[in-house]
Amino acid sequence: MANDTAVRSAPPTAPVGRIRLPQKLRNLELGLLIFACVINGASIVLVQLGALGHLDLTLVSLFATLSILVFGLHITLRFVARDSDPFLLPVATVLNGLGIAMIYRIDIADKQYGWDSAAVRQIAWASIAILCAIGVLVIIRNHRTLFRYTYVSGFVAIVLLLLPLVPGLGRQVSGARVWIGFGSFATFQPGEIAKIALAVFFAGYLVRNRDSLSMVGTTFLGMRFPRARDLGPLLIVWALSMSVIVFQRDLGTALLYFGLFLVMLYVATGRLSWVLLGLAMFLGGAFVASRTLDYVNGRITNWLDAFNPAVYNADGGSYQLVQGLFGLAHGGLIGTGWGQGRPDLTPVPQSDYIIASLGEELGLAGLFAILALYILYISRGFRVGFAGQDDFGKLLGVGLSFVIALQCFIVIGGVTRVIPLTGLTTPFLAAGGSSLVANWIITALLLRISDTVRNQPRLVVES
Amino acid sequence: MSELTLLVLRLGFLALLWAFVFAVVYALRTDLFGQRVRKVVATPPGGIPVSPAPPVAAATAAPTGPVTAARPSVAPSSGKGELATSENARAIVVTSGAKAGAEFPLGRDEITIGRSSDSAIVIRDDYTSTHHARLMLWNNGWMLQDLDSTNGTFLDGHRVTVPTPVALGSSVKVGATTFELRR
Repeated sequence: MANDTAVRSAPPTAPVGRIRLPQKLRNLELGLLIFACVINGASIVLVQLGALGHLDLTLVSLFATLSILVFGLHITLRFVARDSDPFLLPVATVLNGLGIAMIYRIDIADKQYGWDSAAVRQIAWASIAILCAIGVLVIIRNHRTLFRYTYVSGFVAIVLLLLPLVPGLGRQVSGARVWIGFGSFATFQPGEIAKIALAVFFAGYLVRNRDSLSMVGTTFLGMRFPRARDLGPLLIVWALSMSVIVFQRDLGTALLYFGLFLVMLYVATGRLSWVLLGLAMFLGGAFVASRTLDYVNGRITNWLDAFNPAVYNADGGSYQLVQGLFGLAHGGLIGTGWGQGRPDLTPVPQSDYIIASLGEELGLAGLFAILALYILYISRGFRVGFAGQDDFGKLLGVGLSFVIALQCFIVIGGVTRVIPLTGLTTPFLAAGGSSLVANWIITALLLRISDTVRNQPRLVVES
Repeated sequence: MSELTLLVLRLGFLALLWAFVFAVVYALRTDLFGQRVRKVVATPPGGIPVSPAPPVAAATAAPTGPVTAARPSVAPSSGKGELATSENARAIVVTSGAKAGAEFPLGRDEITIGRSSDSAIVIRDDYTSTHHARLMLWNNGWMLQDLDSTNGTFLDGHRVTVPTPVALGSSVKVGATTFELRR
C-alpha cells in the first residue's frame, strides 16, 4: 500500500524500486491505538463510577502504564516492522483493556485491593506479555528463521507439555494438572506457550513434506492414505501431546490442539477427506469418552439438561453454567452498565466466565462488539495466510489465527450453551498470565509475518 | 451519580465501542474490496472529456494491437513453445497495457495477480478482479490458475479454467494487461 506511488512514477523499463514513504500504515495504527486507549480509559472510569461511585486514581495510573507499553510496541513496529498490519495491535489492546476493566469490576465486588487483586496482577502480566511481544519482534526479524527450528520447536512443545508432570514443579488446580509454580506466587501454564511451538512445528513439517503427504500413498476405500514414514513424526508429536493432555485432564486444550492439527493439515494438503476423517475420529473419541470418563459425561449432562433442578443442585452440576446464562439474561440488549450488574454471583466470573460477565454489564450490543473485534483480529491473521507468498508463513499465519478462533468458539460456545463447556481461557480477555503472554506473542508473530508479506517485490500496473 | 447520567454513559460507551469497530472496518475497506479504480478520462481532440464508453473500446483494442505487433520480435529469442520451469524462466515481461515493457523478476515464490494491494503484480483497471489469478510452481513448472475472476484470464487467447502450464513467450492476459514469461 505504502510503496505503490514509488513504483507508479518510475519509467516503464526501470527496475522495480522501493522508496520509503511516510509510514501510512503506522500512522493509521497510531490513530486507532489512541482510540483504543480512550475506550480502555473510559471503561475503567465507568467501572469506578458505577461500582464505587467515585474516581480512584491509583488504578487509573496503573492502567496508564499499560497504555505507555502499548505505544512502546507501536514505536518498535515503526522501526522493525514498518509494513505490518495496522489493525492487529489496536484490536488486541481494546480486548485486553476490556478484560482488565471487567476483572477490576469483579475485584471491587469481591473487595480485593492491592497486590491480592486479580486486576493488578492482570496488568502486571499484560506488561510482561507486551514486553515479550516487543522482544519477539526485535529478535525475529524474518519469520522464516523459525522454519530452521521446526523439529526443535516440536521438541520444545513436548517438553513444555510434560513440565507440569515433574514432581515438585507441577501444581494441580481444580482437577487439571497443567500448572507449574515457583514458590507459592508465580504460577504458569506452559501449555499455552506449547501451542505456539506446536503451530511452528506443524507449519514447518507440513511445508517440507506436504507433497509426499498428499501425493504418495496407498488408496484404501477411495481415500489416499500417506506412507507411515511421511506421517510418522507428525503423528508421534500429535499423539504425545494429546496423551499428555488427557493424562492431565485438560480436555479443552486437547480439543484445541486437535483442531489446530486438522486445520493445518487441511490447509497444507487441500484434502477434505482429512477433515472428515478427523471429525469422525473426534466424534467417536468424544462418544467413547462420554461413556467411560465420569467428568466428561457430567459435562454433557450439564449441557443437555442444564435447567433440571437435580442437575443444577448437584455437586459439579450446571449451577455455574446456569448462573452465567442468568447473568446474560439480566444484561439484556444493552446491559446493566459497568459496575451495575451482579457478575460476581457466577463462580470464577473473571476467567472462564468473563464473557458472561461482560455480556451482563455491556449487554448483547457490547458482546457483539467484542465478537466483531475477534472476527477482525482473526480475519487479519487469515489474510496473511491468503496474501502471503511463502508457504511457511502462510501456514503459520493461518495456524496461529485459527488457534485464537477455535479458542473463542470453544469458550464462548461453552458459556452460551452451544457446545458442552470445557475450560479454556478467552483470548486477551480472561484473567490468566500465561494465556496473555501466549496471545501477545501470537500477535507479534502475526505482525512479523504481515510485514514480510507486504515487503515482497511488487509491480504495479495502473491504467 | 444519577440514574440518567449512568444510562447516558452506558449508551455512550457502547456507541464508542461500535465506533471503534466501524473505524477499523472503514479503514480496511480498501483491503477487502481492492483499491478504487480511477477512470481513465480520455480527452479527444475536441477537448470534451468522454465518460464510460471510450475506456471499454480502448481496453478491447489494447490487447490485440500491441501484442500482435510485439510478438514476432519476441518469439525467436524467447524459445516459444517450451514450457516455463523454474530453471528457464527468469522474468515476467509486460507486453501491453499501461506498463508495457516493465519486467518483474521470477523466483520460486508464487506470484499473485489482482487489484488488491497485497498481490505481487497489482493491476488496477476496471477489468481485473481483486484476486484475479496466480502463477505457481508445480512440479517445477509454472502453472497459471484463474482465481474465479469475473472477466477471466486468457492464455494465448484461450480462457483459463483449470490450472494450465505456461509456455515461455505465450501471452497471458489479465484485464487490459498482457505479459509473458521469458528467460
